[in-house]
Amino acid sequence: MVSFEKIAGPYGGPTGGLAWDGAAMLFSALGESRILRYEPNSGEVSVVRKYSNRTNGIAFAPDGALYGCQELSRRVVRFNHDGSTEQVSVLLDGAYHNQPNNLAVDSRGRIWFSDPWSELRASGPQIFPPLAHASVLRLELDAFGKLWTIQRMTYDTAAPRAVALSPDEATLYVAESDNRPDGRRELRAYPARRDGTLGAFALVHVFGGDHRGEQRGIEGLCVDRAGNIIACAGWKRGGPGPLIYVFSPSGAVLESHPFPADEPMNCAFGELGSLYVTTAGGELYRGRLKGGAP
Amino acid sequence: MLELDRTTPALAGLVSADKPLDRIHHGMSFGEGPLWNRRDGSFLWVDIVGDTIWRWQPGIGAKPLIRPSGKANGLTFDREGRLCVAGWASRTVWRVEADGAVRTLASHYRGRKINSPNDIVVRSDGSIYFTDSPGALYNVGMAAADLQQYLEFQGVFRIAPDGAVDAVITDTVYPNGLAFTPDESVLYVNDTRLGEIRAYDMRADGSCGAMRLFHKLTGAEPGIADGMKVDREGNIYCTGPGGIHVIAPDGKLLGRIRISDHCTNLAWGEADWRSLYITTYHSVFRTRVNVPGIAVW
Repeated sequence: MVSFEKIAGPYGGPTGGLAWDGAAMLFSALGESRILRYEPNSGEVSVVRKYSNRTNGIAFAPDGALYGCQELSRRVVRFNHDGSTEQVSVLLDGAYHNQPNNLAVDSRGRIWFSDPWSELRASGPQIFPPLAHASVLRLELDAFGKLWTIQRMTYDTAAPRAVALSPDEATLYVAESDNRPDGRRELRAYPARRDGTLGAFALVHVFGGDHRGEQRGIEGLCVDRAGNIIACAGWKRGGPGPLIYVFSPSGAVLESHPFPADEPMNCAFGELGSLYVTTAGGELYRGRLKGGAP
Repeated sequence: MLELDRTTPALAGLVSADKPLDRIHHGMSFGEGPLWNRRDGSFLWVDIVGDTIWRWQPGIGAKPLIRPSGKANGLTFDREGRLCVAGWASRTVWRVEADGAVRTLASHYRGRKINSPNDIVVRSDGSIYFTDSPGALYNVGMAAADLQQYLEFQGVFRIAPDGAVDAVITDTVYPNGLAFTPDESVLYVNDTRLGEIRAYDMRADGSCGAMRLFHKLTGAEPGIADGMKVDREGNIYCTGPGGIHVIAPDGKLLGRIRISDHCTNLAWGEADWRSLYITTYHSVFRTRVNVPGIAVW
């Protein structure tokens, strides 16, 4: 058994995306539209950003820039060191995309993000309809490092909720998580092909349901150095309950740990191999997996 | 013919159903900022998403006046007839000088960048009041270059004739339309998020006194508290669910002018100030009313 300890929260609304900055863990208190920073030596929580308009997933790029998925503004933004915030790009083939919630930045600085439909009302007048599809999209800078463009990467998703890259970046893991009755709840591994597109996915894991209700699918993912996939899934109202899974790339369940709070949201490795987990209840937890090395 | 909801018989004294509702322009993404220019008999408005200030002349039609416009929102004139702009995505209030140069009048408050100026009005003493809701920081399709909110409030600012910028209201959540009573003793500010119109007594120094709730908007149709203007008898015309809500000086709803598209703002116009220009997401409409509106400088 791995024990998870609550170290911060609860905050108003869920906590979501996480990003380790090398010394502390940044996490989104998305219901409060704030990005916070937990410093493990002191245990203190400070404010990185306010007024983030429900920024959920956050990630650092290789150049140190912090990017986030601003769910209520339907865009990926960059939080600059001077305190300003810029939108990266918002149009896919001329249309506003959906409501990004999770992202991963690869070694070339390309931003892979899940772009699900959402029941959350986006800010402002409702004059831009959602896309006809809910896919994983990818942002890429042009050769001059100035202009971002967005490319659609998946053509077979309807509820992408989380993305993560394998250490060699040859595989994109996607959580397809529709927790409604009859929704698909799958962890998929898409091969990244040389031509920049994704190949047909391999199924890593499938979540079921029974007369008591659906098993909740994956909301957050991260990958350790060995290439195993750590996933936040489950809830108290169905299936085996809230769990942190560790899958091998081939789909073997290496570890599964009951999680003390309902609906774990996202996870990321911090200091000395510790795993940080956010929750629907707005908390920040920390524990250590058996496998050890992050 | 106008579609009217007559909540009280008194509406008939202000608006008549036999008046036409002319659509004088169509095809914007998000119309706003209606403004009559009494000096040359033209009508201005903006398309925020389309990043354009438009100008329309009767019998001639519409042409872009300023494009790009920094996603300009509310428009008005100052006493010298200079165009004053609530610069939504530029996060400034700016003015077009007599020679055509653009001059920034407000961009920061106590060292911090303001939110995104929404609507604007000029008082007879030459001071400029504007609402500073944060929509350009959050709304889809209307984004400022810098999306970060720095102020801890969303309020109303006054630009004094000497250029000083002061916060006169800080207790609003999403301040939007604003207008003075005919005697300028009270400032009305509507709040989109709260769905209400508030009244603030004006102090001699141009600051605002205590807030009192003036009117709660009602109705289940699409539409929100957005643009707001006052006529010479003190009646308030405010966008809301289903169209334009007409409210008596005592705060009671007299009735509604129903508009099929989502209304965003309205302005008085023509030499007698008895035309009512209405912007919606996609169109500009015009009708006639019985009581003239408060003239724009």
